[in-house]
Amino acid sequence: MAEAYIVGTGSYLPGPPIGNDQIEDVLGFVEEKSSRLKSRILKSNGIRSRHYALDRKQRSTHQNSELASMAAENCLMRLGFDRKKIDMLAVASTQGDLPLPGMASMVQAQMNLPPCEILTTHGVCSAGMMALKSGVNQVRLAEKKNVLVVASELASRLLKRSRYEAASQTVLDLEAEFLRWMLSDGSGALLVQSEPAASGLSLKVEWIEIISFASDFDLCMSCGTADQSLWSTLAPEKEPELSLAAVGARQAERTVLQKRSHENGERSWQDYATYAEAEAAGALLIRQNLRILDNIVKVGVDGFLRLIQAGKISADEVDHFVCHYSSHYFRGKILELFKMCGCLIPEEKWFTNLYTKGNTGCASAFIALDELFWSGRLQTGQVIFCVVPESGRFTTAYMKLTVV
Amino acid sequence: MVVTEKELTLNARAQELLRKLLLVWLDFERSLGKIPILRRLEQGRFTADDYKTLLLNLRPQVIEGSRWITRAASSFTSEFAELRSKVIGHAYDEHRDYQMLESDFVAVGGELKNIRSAPRNIGTEALASFLMQQASLPNPVDLLGAMFIIEGLGQKMAQGWAQKIQQALGVSADATKFLSYHGLNDSEHLAKLHSILDSDAVTNETAPRILKTAKVVARLYLLQLEELDNV
Repeated sequence: MAEAYIVGTGSYLPGPPIGNDQIEDVLGFVEEKSSRLKSRILKSNGIRSRHYALDRKQRSTHQNSELASMAAENCLMRLGFDRKKIDMLAVASTQGDLPLPGMASMVQAQMNLPPCEILTTHGVCSAGMMALKSGVNQVRLAEKKNVLVVASELASRLLKRSRYEAASQTVLDLEAEFLRWMLSDGSGALLVQSEPAASGLSLKVEWIEIISFASDFDLCMSCGTADQSLWSTLAPEKEPELSLAAVGARQAERTVLQKRSHENGERSWQDYATYAEAEAAGALLIRQNLRILDNIVKVGVDGFLRLIQAGKISADEVDHFVCHYSSHYFRGKILELFKMCGCLIPEEKWFTNLYTKGNTGCASAFIALDELFWSGRLQTGQVIFCVVPESGRFTTAYMKLTVV
Repeated sequence: MVVTEKELTLNARAQELLRKLLLVWLDFERSLGKIPILRRLEQGRFTADDYKTLLLNLRPQVIEGSRWITRAASSFTSEFAELRSKVIGHAYDEHRDYQMLESDFVAVGGELKNIRSAPRNIGTEALASFLMQQASLPNPVDLLGAMFIIEGLGQKMAQGWAQKIQQALGVSADATKFLSYHGLNDSEHLAKLHSILDSDAVTNETAPRILKTAKVVARLYLLQLEELDNV
């Protein structure tokens, strides 16, 4: 089997850095009021600045396919690589500009790439690693020589004030507001080839493992439903007489519209008679189930322990630990568990740019790798261990790279 | 799990065992999340009847718990004297726990005679029988695996459950003494357990047995919660 190497990287962050005190100047003040939760959530996630593809009137400055193209162009330009040689384009995003076709089609056109194989992966944070794994495997199978892998997010369109105002909620609930202070926009790109770069560093992809625990948990992060609990597959017994009352008790702040959606069996945004009704019911808001979010660390460590047992990685060999933790809050939790199981990766080996580049979902890991790749810190023989947890329904992607 | 005690540096064998035990634990924790009564607790649909059912079904195991631990203590020979004194200390700490549990039951409107007369459910039957069997064998080092699961439950889950029960039922901490006590004290017990894992008791021969007993106990503990009132 052939090897696969990341020979170059690129990234793009739209607009100027936006500090914590300017977020609402860009995303807008919901109902003209500043959020009461904002400072609490920002303190916890530790992010100090981020970028948005929105202007101050919440008009889009870019399309997601444009953000993706910018990172890809940045990667090709740095390498001086001829785009005509690209034989596969893999593009990851949480949400493309259009529900269909796949985003890779749009990015290929945007970049004016020659006819080639394309792949679109869709998910949340781990989608970028899914695209990368597929590209790497194609190179290993010698089916492709030059694979461009791009991960891009334009979350801010989901976070602007009008989205929340359109959902007829008397109070903005924490579940729907949380991600407003977490997510932002950006893109990253990697070029994968079967040979290391002729000059400069390359990253040999030793392996990529992706583990999902979806059947063990309820939905934790989603967009497209007014009530994530409607998607539970865990409770073996149905208690119809309880469900409405319970919905009332648990989400007292939600509106009659949402309750009606339960009665009408509207689970997906596509079940509503009109998209306007779906939006009014809050089915188009991006949501995070905070009650179960902490499990993200546990499943991440679970997978890490499995990899250690399988002999694929040991804490001692890691020189650079690139972990897409979405929030500073989780850093401490991860450290605790690492210490506990005797597989601590010392903090000086951790590399992140979360605090200044923001949490850009599936693009985050690529944006971090891009900064590390060009930082001058990498030396031949070093090991990079990359971990990308996704809370959507609990997936974690792991990757081991060797600097060559 | 939260490392609240001073940092422990374990030897390599103990670390490997600990990592394997943690994988068993994480799997156990995910399985707990699928048990109907705990799902109701998680989703805020937990009722006073649920709580009474839970306490009623836990009491026999708590009483059995102090029995198998003391039995285990008596099964250790003098070469395991250190381990034996730790186990005795642990048994002493917990042998009257069931009284807190009974007081919680009464605090939410249960009748003392009902909980005192409640028989073991079939899961408890299996769990208690297995533990007593292992505890009766000479030098039952493998029961460290059982303690890892049961103490972990207290340290990791009990405090959270206690808070959720208080919220769901609108009761004070006085009605969740048993769970709250374990939430506060089991981290100390767990730290002791870690130091035991670091001892000579963990060998290439005992480590797989400790792991296996942890797996069996995790499975049987789940059975106990799956078979509520099935007596």
